[in-house]
Amino acid sequence: MAALRHISRKVFTTFLKPETRPKSETCAICIRLLNYSSIEYDEKHDPAQKFFNKEVQSLLKDLTRVDLSKVNRKRKLGARRLENPEYKFMTDEELKQATEEAIQKSEELLQIPPVVSVRKPLNHVFARDPALQGLEESKMVFTDITFGIKDAERLIVVREIDGTLREAEWELKNRMNQLYFPKKGRSLKPPKMFYGEYLDNLLERKEYEFVLDRACIQFEPNDPDYQRVVSITYQHINDHDGFDYLRSTRHFGALTFFLAWHKNIDNLLLELIETSHIEEAIKLLDLFSKLQAVNYEKAEDLDKIEEYISKFSNKKAALELGFQAYKDLARQRKELEDGIKVAHGLG
Amino acid sequence: MAGQILNVTKTFQKLTISSRCKLVGTIINPFKEHELQVLNSSSTRNTNFFNKLPAHDLWKGITSVSNAGKKRGRGKNVSKSKIKDLNRGQVIGLGKANIIWPGLSAPIIRGKELVEQHQLPEDPEREKKLVQLRDQMGIVKRQKLSPIERGWSGSKMPGRSIGGPDPIGEDTFEGFDTKVLELKTVFNMKGNLGRKRRQSALVVTGNGKGLAGFALAKGNEARIALRKAKNRSAQKLMHIKLFKNHTVCHDFFSQFGSTKIFVSQKPEGHGLVCHRAIKTICEVIGIKNLHAKVEGSTNVGKVMKAFFLGLISQKTPEEIAEEKKLHLVQICKESNYFPTVIASPTECRKAQEIPKDEILDFKQYCFDGKVVLQKKKFPPFYTKYKSYEIYLKKQEKFRNQAEVKRNLIAEYGEIRSFLTDKYPECRQYRREKKVEENEEAEA
Repeated sequence: MAALRHISRKVFTTFLKPETRPKSETCAICIRLLNYSSIEYDEKHDPAQKFFNKEVQSLLKDLTRVDLSKVNRKRKLGARRLENPEYKFMTDEELKQATEEAIQKSEELLQIPPVVSVRKPLNHVFARDPALQGLEESKMVFTDITFGIKDAERLIVVREIDGTLREAEWELKNRMNQLYFPKKGRSLKPPKMFYGEYLDNLLERKEYEFVLDRACIQFEPNDPDYQRVVSITYQHINDHDGFDYLRSTRHFGALTFFLAWHKNIDNLLLELIETSHIEEAIKLLDLFSKLQAVNYEKAEDLDKIEEYISKFSNKKAALELGFQAYKDLARQRKELEDGIKVAHGLG
Repeated sequence: MAGQILNVTKTFQKLTISSRCKLVGTIINPFKEHELQVLNSSSTRNTNFFNKLPAHDLWKGITSVSNAGKKRGRGKNVSKSKIKDLNRGQVIGLGKANIIWPGLSAPIIRGKELVEQHQLPEDPEREKKLVQLRDQMGIVKRQKLSPIERGWSGSKMPGRSIGGPDPIGEDTFEGFDTKVLELKTVFNMKGNLGRKRRQSALVVTGNGKGLAGFALAKGNEARIALRKAKNRSAQKLMHIKLFKNHTVCHDFFSQFGSTKIFVSQKPEGHGLVCHRAIKTICEVIGIKNLHAKVEGSTNVGKVMKAFFLGLISQKTPEEIAEEKKLHLVQICKESNYFPTVIASPTECRKAQEIPKDEILDFKQYCFDGKVVLQKKKFPPFYTKYKSYEIYLKKQEKFRNQAEVKRNLIAEYGEIRSFLTDKYPECRQYRREKKVEENEEAEA
């Protein structure tokens, strides 16, 4: 899909080059780029095993580039006004302890939402009783509300009008669970913000974090709707270089995993190289090799990048240019440092 | 002179008098009109009230009351709105009958023709204009202030802004604004003049960035007193420490005479919740969020002095940390209780070095070891009534109504019920917007 979009964009740009366009005509050309389509993690290649791998998790966490002040920035909690801040006098040790506790707390905020394959539809039939046909005018839903059962394992069955007793489909299951055991912030029906123009509008306004946070509350991670919303948002971020909007949030890991899983890390890699975060770029390549089961021939860091660009990337020209610029910058910096050392009489 | 007369005669010679034009009309024959009058005799007295006194005395007698008369309650109906100068708007030569009088209301010669006296059709507008003019007479419209310019009350001066102080030589007070706190009439007994009345103005000036001063000045007129006070306050500026440019550095208590003020720091968006004089001072200084409670006398001058004393004696977080030799840490609910270091000392004490009786509570430290008495808030009297219980029970079914309405509108675009599908004609009535009329009006 991504490749298709890439090609379509190329076609689009070549057709609309200023030379090829007739100059005299002043017509406004309104062509919408191809809409993003949902990319789900299908069952055949379950991403869960690789996602929950400890090494992958640590790589994803490192790539998130956590800035504590951004994680713990002031948020609006829905109250009418901000609460009065509390002030405390602290010694060095107390401050250190308090900071450590706070860091642990922020770890919770940074837990990456699980990446799993999309769920299978449920159609298990328990019994067919034709004798019950026509007894009721509507379906009956029976929910097991015993305390302590997980929502996913709760038994919810439907007696159809024709007397069939079957397991409830996922949508109904979620609705019944929300009805009997409401989760804070989740609504019975998914809000309109996840569909059509409303989602487009939010993405245009770069409200990525809002969309992703709300999706996490509303849906289960194996819900096809969740994967649709999330994948569209990730694609939008990838195409508009909105990586900075997600840094220091729990969603950056999932975004990186999504891109690496679908072999689409070129934009992120380019951004990392351009901002001289070369260590992160190498970690990204490690992640790519882990997920795609490819090995780099060279162990040297910068060589790895070169190898990736030549072998796997779709945006060779841009990446090579960016990498060359980085190398030049690094060389200049080193020369400057050496010069300063010599000037100080250390070299 | 002779030359001018010659010119005039020359121009008259050039003019032609047409046969239609007769100058007889202007001359009225007195005998013609009185020919048929019946002769009758009646006694007349030629001296009366109206021709004995001159006009201005008559005018005065109607429009004013003597001081002694006023004390006795005379002339209650005399007011400025009733005094009307009927001469206003009237010009000699222009009247109800719209006649053109050459030489009086029109030029004698227009172009090359002599203007003749003649009557034009009556002007209905003239009368209306005169009436309107007379109606307006005596009604003095008060200047209306925009809500932004308004002070504490109506068009009174306290609370109003009177601009920055005047420049001294080349030094200008850019970005400064002055606000009036008090403007009142004061009296003083003089040896030869007796009770002498003057205006006293108390103003505060500042640049909204922590530089402010106040002054009191007197003058014979309000304007003079205000100007004097404004310029004097610019000579008495003091630096006031602000916390993150929006509030006070910490909670504090200050007192001047019997006026006590408890000031507390507030986060962004809280606003100024305090006495109006304190609010005005804060606006001038640049404090945007604060809560203050005034106890005791609320005399504006004393409140101001107490507040300024408190502001001046504030300590910055750095000073506090240095004095305590401990880190000053802010913990906010909104930032997930993350400890943010506000200020650090150059050298921090260890836990063993802190004496046991030292005050470590920040609030207590701000109030010098004292604790502010927080009075218990009792529930209102009506909560004990049976009727309130009934009211609460009745209201309970509406508790989620607003939210349900909002969700319905979000989902269906209208307020509906489970019966709407069955009875689609049952809908909430909404008045249609008057769109077409507006369009017509615009067209």
